[in-house]
Amino acid sequence: MYDATQAAPQAGQKETKISAKGVQVHYGDTHAIKDVDVEIAARTVTAFIGPSGCGKSTFLRCLNRMNDTIDTCRVEGNILLDGEDIYDKRVDPVQLRAKVGMVFQKPNPFPKSIYDNVAYGPRIHGLARNKADLDEIVEKALRRGAIWDEVKDRLDAPGTGLSGGQQQRLCIARAVATQPEVLLMDEPCSALDPIATAQVEELINELRARFSVVIVTHSMQQAARVSQKTAFFHLGHLVEYDDTATIFTNPSDERTESYITGRIG
Amino acid sequence: MNEKHILSAFDSDLEQVQTHIMMMGGLVEEAILRASESLQELDQEMAEKVRNDDKAIDLLEEKINEECALLIALRSPAAGDLRIALSVMKIAGNLERIGDYAKNMAKRTAILMDLPQVEGARGALRRMAREVQLMLNDALDAYVQRDSELAYNILRRDLEIDQMYNALFREFLTFMMEDPRNITPCMHLHFIAKNTERMGDHVTAIAEQVIYVVEGHMPDDEARPKRDHYDPSLHQLS
Repeated sequence: MYDATQAAPQAGQKETKISAKGVQVHYGDTHAIKDVDVEIAARTVTAFIGPSGCGKSTFLRCLNRMNDTIDTCRVEGNILLDGEDIYDKRVDPVQLRAKVGMVFQKPNPFPKSIYDNVAYGPRIHGLARNKADLDEIVEKALRRGAIWDEVKDRLDAPGTGLSGGQQQRLCIARAVATQPEVLLMDEPCSALDPIATAQVEELINELRARFSVVIVTHSMQQAARVSQKTAFFHLGHLVEYDDTATIFTNPSDERTESYITGRIG
Repeated sequence: MNEKHILSAFDSDLEQVQTHIMMMGGLVEEAILRASESLQELDQEMAEKVRNDDKAIDLLEEKINEECALLIALRSPAAGDLRIALSVMKIAGNLERIGDYAKNMAKRTAILMDLPQVEGARGALRRMAREVQLMLNDALDAYVQRDSELAYNILRRDLEIDQMYNALFREFLTFMMEDPRNITPCMHLHFIAKNTERMGDHVTAIAEQVIYVVEGHMPDDEARPKRDHYDPSLHQLS
């Protein structure tokens, strides 16, 4: 259910976590993101909506430099995380991605045990001093992923053996295990049934107490349900960015209105 | 925003419920006109018809509420569409109340026939009702045309209705003080005047819904006349 008290526009009072200015993205000759400015607040769920090809996923991927892996991709402009430029030469993308975690459209657990899926990140980042430490981190992450009770008796079973909804929550647990500050989610529920979707949405709402969550979704109702801020992208432009409650009751741009009401825009 | 929905059934649902609002509005306008005419002419038959026809208005309100509930449940309207769905439900409620007041006027007309007549009162009440009906007509036009300027104009015109009511109130008091035999008819006439004044308030509420649909927010306090224009000097007469 849409909860107006949770969607209350308190987001405006929170400090800025990520600040993007004049961001331009090119894929070869394609100009995918055109001069986008946006400020993402701490401990807030921000939703990116827009038609396919509008640039919302591309922009999301800029926030943890996932586009670095694409040769033809060129990112210009400034993206600051807590005031520091994430595209600075001295920034290690691997360290950045530990701080800015990501969950993808299709659940993609490693072909390893449930335990190892979650322990992988903390291990490579050296977050645990010993086995007991690691056990604790894994349990905490699985609890935050709202999946602990379902898997605590079979931590050695393969992650790939879980149901789709469980796999996705395992991936969220894996992403939060490295203690990120921001969690990026690219269509995290598109492969899930409504019950699993509700569980993930409930989880997102809980995660917001601790993290900034940025979610790309094709379901406008999902954006309305889980986010406090909504950004509408169209043809590479950020058309409108406002409190979710405002976007869904009284958007100021006609293109936003056309899109969210299901008209040709 | 004149574009069509990708899903054309959404458009026809929205159109249908708004057509029903217009039908309802037409019936209510007619009820006001007929009730006030039967009052002035003391036409028992017409008054009876107004009372009977109110059922059709009530049924339409129910229908509109059902259609809106379905629209919200099945189509999840957002932004402008959402505002239409919400406004239509409220407007239906306001129209139903206005219809009730017209019915009440017809009921009191039947009683007034057997009482001594108060000079000039029925004509004045008919003029007041006529003014309210014209405001309602404009409010419905403003809704169809999405004309918030016209809606603001209606908010201002409600002041005139309030003044007409205040004037009638004084007049009835004077009549009652002059001759106690006037008390019973004047009480009924006063209720009619008060009810007509309330009709004006409901028309104002409809105009406010037009502003909400068009502008996305309710009119601010400056544009919005105060709800109750009770004139304190009226106390001094009694």
